[in-house]
Formats: sequence, C-alpha cells, structure tokens
Amino acid sequence: MSKLWRIAWHEYGRHVFTRRFMLILLSVPALVLVVIGLVLIVIYMETDSQPLGYVDQSGILADPIPAPPVSWPERAVALVAYSTEVLARTALDAEEIQGYYVLPEDYLQTGQAELTYYEEPKGSSRGQFLEFIAVNLLASQPAEVASRIIDGTTIIVRSEDGSREASEEIFMDILMPFFSGLIFFFALSTSSGYLLSAVVEEKENRTMEILVTSVSPGQLMVGKIVGNIAVGFTQLLAWIGFIALGVTIGGKWFPFLRGVQIPWSSLGVMMMVMIPAFIMICALMAAVGATVTEASEGQQVMGIFTIPLYIPYMLITLLMDSPNSPLAVGLSFFPLTAPLTVAIRAGFTVIPVWQILVSMGILTASALGALWLAGRAFRLGMLRYGKRLRWKELFAPARGRQAYG
Amino acid sequence: MATVELNHISKSFGAVKAVDDVSFTVEPGEIFGLLGPNGAGKTTAIRVLLDIFKPDSGTVSILGGVMDESKKNRVGYMPEERGLYQDIPLERCLIYLATLKGMSQAEARLRAGEYLERFDLAQDKKKKVKELSKGMQQKAQLIVTLMHQPEMLIVDEPFSGLDPVNTQMVKDLLKEQRDRGVTILMSTHQMHQVEELCDRLVLIDRGRTVLYGGLDDISLQFSGHAVKVRTQDTLPTLPGVEKVERNNSAYRLSLAPSATAQDVLRELVEYGITVEQFEIATPTLDEIFIRVVTGNSGEEGGAG
Repeated sequence: MSKLWRIAWHEYGRHVFTRRFMLILLSVPALVLVVIGLVLIVIYMETDSQPLGYVDQSGILADPIPAPPVSWPERAVALVAYSTEVLARTALDAEEIQGYYVLPEDYLQTGQAELTYYEEPKGSSRGQFLEFIAVNLLASQPAEVASRIIDGTTIIVRSEDGSREASEEIFMDILMPFFSGLIFFFALSTSSGYLLSAVVEEKENRTMEILVTSVSPGQLMVGKIVGNIAVGFTQLLAWIGFIALGVTIGGKWFPFLRGVQIPWSSLGVMMMVMIPAFIMICALMAAVGATVTEASEGQQVMGIFTIPLYIPYMLITLLMDSPNSPLAVGLSFFPLTAPLTVAIRAGFTVIPVWQILVSMGILTASALGALWLAGRAFRLGMLRYGKRLRWKELFAPARGRQAYG
Repeated sequence: MATVELNHISKSFGAVKAVDDVSFTVEPGEIFGLLGPNGAGKTTAIRVLLDIFKPDSGTVSILGGVMDESKKNRVGYMPEERGLYQDIPLERCLIYLATLKGMSQAEARLRAGEYLERFDLAQDKKKKVKELSKGMQQKAQLIVTLMHQPEMLIVDEPFSGLDPVNTQMVKDLLKEQRDRGVTILMSTHQMHQVEELCDRLVLIDRGRTVLYGGLDDISLQFSGHAVKVRTQDTLPTLPGVEKVERNNSAYRLSLAPSATAQDVLRELVEYGITVEQFEIATPTLDEIFIRVVTGNSGEEGGAG
C-alpha cells in the first residue's frame, strides 16, 4: 500500500471506526423512525373507533354495500343503521355511537345530509361514511367507472421538454433534489470539519515534523483529503441507504411514498456540481487548517466559507418562485452558492445545459484553485507553531521560500 | 564518503539570518554533536538538512546525495518538538508512523511489540497516548525514531524529560546504534552527554559556526598551559609555576611559557610531595561552551 493510501486509510479509520461516528450514522434513521412513529400516532389518534350511526330515509342504503376497508394505522369505524331518528338519538345519548347521519328522502336531489353529534366526529370517521355513501351511490355503475369516479382527478404538471413531471402523488420527486442537497451538505460538513481538525491537530500535537520527514507534503495533503472525503461519502451512502429503506418500508402505509422515484437526471446534474464543490470546500478547510494554530481558531475562520454555502436556503422561496430568475442563475455561477442553488433549482425547473456546464466549469476551476491554495498554505504553514500564517503571505510571490518549493 | 555534508548553507527568515554560512560533515558510524545556545540555528540547520527548509545558499548532501523521498525511509528523526497522535492507542500510533517509513503493517506490528517490550511499555500498548506519562511518551517517541532501523539518526535533545534511569537507557541505546554502524547526529544542551557520547562536534552561535572538530582536539585547543594537582600536602614554591589556584585539595598551576608539565612533576617528586592526581588541566565542554558563547574565548575554532 502506498504511503498516500496509508494516510487516507488512517484518516478514514480514526473517524469511521469510532462510537461517535456510529451514533452520527444512526441519528438519521433514528430521526426518521421518530418522525414516522409520530405520524402514525397522529393518524391513529385522528380516528375514533366508536361506531357512527345513520338513518336512511332516501332508500339508497336499503341493501348497502360495505364501506371499503381502511389500512392501519387508521381504525375502521363500524357504521350502524337505525330505522328512526329517535332510535339513533337514544343510541347517541347512551354514548353507543359518536354521532349519526340522516339522509332525507330527497337526498338524491339535494345531496344534503344532516349530522347530529355532541362532539364532532373525527375526520377519518366522516371520511369513511362518505366513502360508504359513494360506493353505494355508484353501485349500479360498471366497476371501472365507479373506481374512476372514486379515485377522482389527477393533475400532472409536465415540463415543456417532457423530461420532468409532478403530480399530487409524485410530489416527492420535486423535493428529492432538495433533500439530497441537504444530506450532501451534512456529509460535506462532516468531511470538511474532520479535515480542518486533522491538519490543525497535527500542528498542535507536533506530529507534522515527523510526517514531513516520512512522506512528501503532497502525499500527506492528498491522503488526508481522500480519507476525509471518504468519511463524508460513507455517511452520505449510509444515510441514503437508510432513507431508501425507510421509503420502501414506509410505502406500505403512506401512499405518497409509493410514487417516489429516484430522479436520476436531477441527481446526475447535482453530482456534477456537488463533486467539485465537495473537493473545493474540503481543500479550503485544509488550507484554513494549515494557516491557523488552534482548532478553535479554525472553526471561526471556517464560518467565512460555510455561511455563504447556506445562502440559497435563506433565499429558498425566491428560488422556488422563480428558479430561472437572474438571481437564481447568478447564484448558480458563484462557487460557494452554486451547489445548493443548483440542487434547489433542479427540483423546480429544468436547468439549461449551458448553465450547468458553466457552473460545473467554475466549480472545477475553483476546486483546482482551492487545492493549489491548500498545498501552498500547507507548505508555508505546516511548521508554524504559535504563529498564524497570514493570507496575504499565501498570495505573495514565491520569493524566499520557507519550505517545500 | 561522509554521511552528511553541509557546505556553506545560509537560511534567512525575513530579516533574521537563522543560519549563516555553516559547514560540517558527519562521518559514517560516528555520534556527532550539534551544539549551540537557544536560537543559535541548530533546528533550522537540521530542517535544512532534512529538506524541510530549502537553504538560501549552499548545498546539502545526505546519504550520498540530495534528500529525496526514498531516503526518508533511511533516516530516523526525533524532533525537539515531540509529536505523537494523542487520541489513538500507543501501539496503533507506532505502527502507523512506522508504515509511513516504508515498513509493512505486519513487520511494523512485530517490531513495535519488540520495542514496547524493551522499553517496558508493553502493558501500556492499548492505552491512548495522552494517557501516558511524559517520560513514557518520550520513550514512545524514541521507538518511532528507531523502529524502521534507519541508517542515520537525527535526535534533537534526546534526554529532555527523562529521569536518570531512562537517560542511561537512551545513552546505551545510542551507543548500541553507533556500534551497529548507524550514523548519529545529536543536538543537545547537555554537555556532559556530549563529552560521553560524541566523537566530534560543531558549535553554532547566532547562526555561525564557532567551533568544529574532534572532542579531544577542541579540549586541547582550550586547555591553556596549566596542570591540575591533587595532594593533601602543602605545595612549596615551584620553579616555572607562575600562578597557583587552590580548590580544597586540588591545585591548578599555571606554568611559565618555558616550563613543561614534565618539569613540574619532577619538582614535586623531588620535594617529596605525595601526589594523588596529576593531569593536564583541560576545561570541561561546559566551560568551553560558556567561554565561546559569551565571547570570553580569544580564539575560535575554524569553520569546517
């Protein structure tokens, strides 16, 4: 194994094979489980299993077809027929039912029914009764017609070029790039944070001098960047895996999750922008680490780079409303705001190819520039103990070199 | 061929000239002392030697040529600023740093076990480095320097932080390495260690070479024209002796230019003085160091 890979593996192992990292990894599925659990509890609480009564004076429920079954966690409500309002009222007073509907004789003409209750029945109970009525009203219709009417209308919005579409059921596709961008940035924060501390730590604990007499500064820097980027990607893949698992399992209960498809084209666009962005940020963090003398100082300087990264989230309503506005396009071309802007826009519009190419080009050039800067900062600052390397020294002409050329 | 050869190297940081026209060679299999007061430029000279810093002028040769990546595996370096990863177990730290010196993982594990045993750290190998005492960390640092069995050792203040037992162990270790043919460049302030271990030395002050050569030659160079006599008797006035300084039962006799030590010894015997000790009075390295550095010495060693 070459020294570069040994450094990368060391960096990877010291972060990944720790209890702390496992906790970070498990925090996302734990959070997803908590959210799912809360949603299920809310749905369960929204149903009242006490029966609901009805008095049919219209005759449409004389020989009723049972209401369609409901799926867990929604609870099925028994629907009890009463011959008179008096009997239904007696049952309500005896708290045997949560309320009762009266369908008058002219129900088919007016469509008006009356609900009597002491405490308004939950939405789920009313919904189950309305489905019961609908099924019975359509009893004489062919099954396809009945099903079509019960399912209602579905509006599908398609992009002009037909490459993207969204509807009430597949709205998650719009949000996927947005959420993917968010997860990507959590992973980026992890990688860049580890990288910053890795470089500062070796200055703080004075291992740097031993390292630079064992390997070249280039091997050391690249090994660290590769190792810490791998840490971020491990986190990223694990989280994506957990989410995919959650979507697959959750789809059994939540219809809106069934339609979730991976928007490969949007993700592809994002990856083209995110990968150079990832390298750029990591290299900048390494450069910061090489210039400062303590980790705490590094954290403060790091803020200068990380705050602009999240500006697109602060402007998210503007970007959603007008994903092709000059502001959105401008932010796509600025290296620090480009990654998230492109992620958000990819969810709400079809980004013109030339814009993606320009954004990619700017980010790739920025990543290369950041790597150069990191290498220079590393060479000049690696043995500066107790004295910070000034940024103007980084950009000064390479006159009177102090370290590796 | 010298293992290390520095030829007229100079290195400045801004307006400060850290090393100014320094030259010296380190011969194969010797222990060479690099001495100097704080801020004299010793560490800068070592960093130039190791190619961490590029010199402004002059040339450096190590192990037969300029420093390159392959030579890094052949050199063991213990910097003055000790450094180990604090948050990982000791054994893992040693193995990792050894693999960066070109050893395989298996080989490094085996060698780490041997050294941990020898340095009495085997029972602490699973402890995090930060949990070890300062002395133990110092020993661990030495293991890192030696594990890959380098051909050349560069040790900066190897005795700092060590108790007498461990100091002796390190001295034995350095002698053992020399006996194995390893060339050692040692930078230290502890002159008695230099006197005991080094064959030759260079003394740098304010970036410049002020003393360079074999230990015996330097001692003689600074010995002056005097003898040291230890006796319980009272000394008579001796011909050829210009000045007598007494310190308990020891006397330092400064001789006239025409007199020799042999003349004085003969006179003492003739007077029936019981001589317990008689030797040419040579200053200690400590004294030479102070004299040279404080400028009390009228003479300077030649800059090699």
